[in-house]
Amino acid sequence: MSNDRIGRALRDAAIPEPPDAEERGGRIIAAAFEERQSGRSEVRGAMTPSTSEGRRRRPAARLALGLSLATLLAALLLSPAGAAVRDWVGEVVESPAPKPEPELARIPGGGRLLVQSAAGPWVVQPDGSRRLLGDYEEASWSPHGLFVAAAKGRTLSAVEPGGTPHWSLTSGARVRTPRWAPAGERIAYRSAEELRIVAGDGTDDRLLARSTAPVAPAWSPRGDPGLAYVTGDGRLRVVYSETGEELAGGPTLPHISRLEWGAGGTAILEASPRDLRLRGIWVRKIALIRKLGEARTLPLPAGSSLVGAALAPKKQAVAAVVTHWRDHGTHSEVLLFAPGAEKPRSLLTVPGSLGEVAWSPDGRRLLVAWPGADQWLFLPVGRGKARAVADISHAFSPGGDAASFPRVEGWCCRP
Amino acid sequence: MQVEDAADERRLVREAQDGSGAAMARLYSLHWRGAYRAAYLVVHDAAAAEDIAQDAFLAAVDALDRFDRRRPFRPWLHRIVVNRALDWARREALRRRVDGAESVFEPLPPPEEIGGELMAALKELPAEQRAVVVLRHLLEYTPGEIARMLALPRGTVNSRLRRGLDRLREAAEAESFAEEKR
Repeated sequence: MSNDRIGRALRDAAIPEPPDAEERGGRIIAAAFEERQSGRSEVRGAMTPSTSEGRRRRPAARLALGLSLATLLAALLLSPAGAAVRDWVGEVVESPAPKPEPELARIPGGGRLLVQSAAGPWVVQPDGSRRLLGDYEEASWSPHGLFVAAAKGRTLSAVEPGGTPHWSLTSGARVRTPRWAPAGERIAYRSAEELRIVAGDGTDDRLLARSTAPVAPAWSPRGDPGLAYVTGDGRLRVVYSETGEELAGGPTLPHISRLEWGAGGTAILEASPRDLRLRGIWVRKIALIRKLGEARTLPLPAGSSLVGAALAPKKQAVAAVVTHWRDHGTHSEVLLFAPGAEKPRSLLTVPGSLGEVAWSPDGRRLLVAWPGADQWLFLPVGRGKARAVADISHAFSPGGDAASFPRVEGWCCRP
Repeated sequence: MQVEDAADERRLVREAQDGSGAAMARLYSLHWRGAYRAAYLVVHDAAAAEDIAQDAFLAAVDALDRFDRRRPFRPWLHRIVVNRALDWARREALRRRVDGAESVFEPLPPPEEIGGELMAALKELPAEQRAVVVLRHLLEYTPGEIARMLALPRGTVNSRLRRGLDRLREAAEAESFAEEKR
């Protein structure tokens, strides 16, 4: 056999390639390059004398940085790998508030919802049919929606979507914020101030951290054992969940209320009532290395309060709901921060208060709660028609009694 | 589109060093696929190959300021890719010996048919032999260049190449024989 044939075989062999690998890598490299540029700008800024001349230079430096980032983004968008990003960004459109449908007859875009009502968690099927799982106080999906991790008092349970309990364990204190790892093998939950881990079959319950903030932990969405949580003294830690070894860490937002690890594992979202910020996270499975990037503050409208935020499943896009006082009344706005965008785009503004926001599993829609109108809003992120469904409180009140507006805990799963 | 010549690549590196995101993105799009393929052919694990290729580019970004503009970018990147792939393959082999089982958390994908006896034989070679075969016959470096990239004596590179190619030839001949019989 000739050397040429070996070369041809190596060049031409069909080798498996993880979906979106080039695009995913491109985003990470772009973020690393951006961080390098920011660092260089900061160094230059630090070396600039604190004079009026020095201060005058800063806008120019910011402009240069902005231009270079814009060029980088443009270059990535023009590359084959960036085509999907370009299409996605280009399709973002504003939606007016739609006329509501009288009842939940189907979930636009499909998937299943997990909804927490005063009576307990419900599973909503794609055709709108729903089942109350029991009188649990909190719930979250397992991977692929095979089970629901449900908490009540000091009890953590794995419940089938039909309502049958699979196993239960009793903890030493009230169980809060159970979160099932994407690979299915572990559940992380808080018990008093502790962070604990239990195997997916209910065995091997153990302590991972003694002091945590009242924020749900967030698993790496890549299916590896990386887990992020906020310590009692307000520090973000990313740990190897088997040992508790810190893989990365840093200060987090004051008064943080939500932590989410998404965008295909490339970013962590931190939210507090006043601030929203996104951190890149470089993941290298070969050595379980995690490296946190610089936190990027996502600008919210002046004087607004953040009500809810969610990170897209696969893209570094963030949906946020804010409220602000305007024209002598409270208004709420749904904002979309497209990947890499400096400013958000307003998708919808309504009078009154909106609630939480959730991404559909395919990242094409947002579900926004509108308690004041007793509606759920399904907003397209790309082209498509916005939909609204009315009479939500009634739909999640067993026996048709008047009930409080329920909370959407999760939208599962990719078809 | 290909980089026309080494001068074009040097220009891209220079522009990236000067802060051009477009130049960095161009370098990435030109070299990602080759880096991934080289990593995959050494480690035979798609997820690890993705990480290795990504890691090599991150190393390139980290070291961009220190990079000597007169040197070519491609061999520098490939040196990182192949060395990291070798590190991964050695660690993986050690882990399998120690654990006696696959990782619970990062299960390897099922063996993938990537094309004939030759690829199967490549997969059976020791990682060190795979690496020199890939560098020589996929990326077309000379034995002298490979020796410098892997920090090995040139004689070691030649012997690994010879042993690797002997095994591949045996596999190819067995494949030809089987085809003739059919």
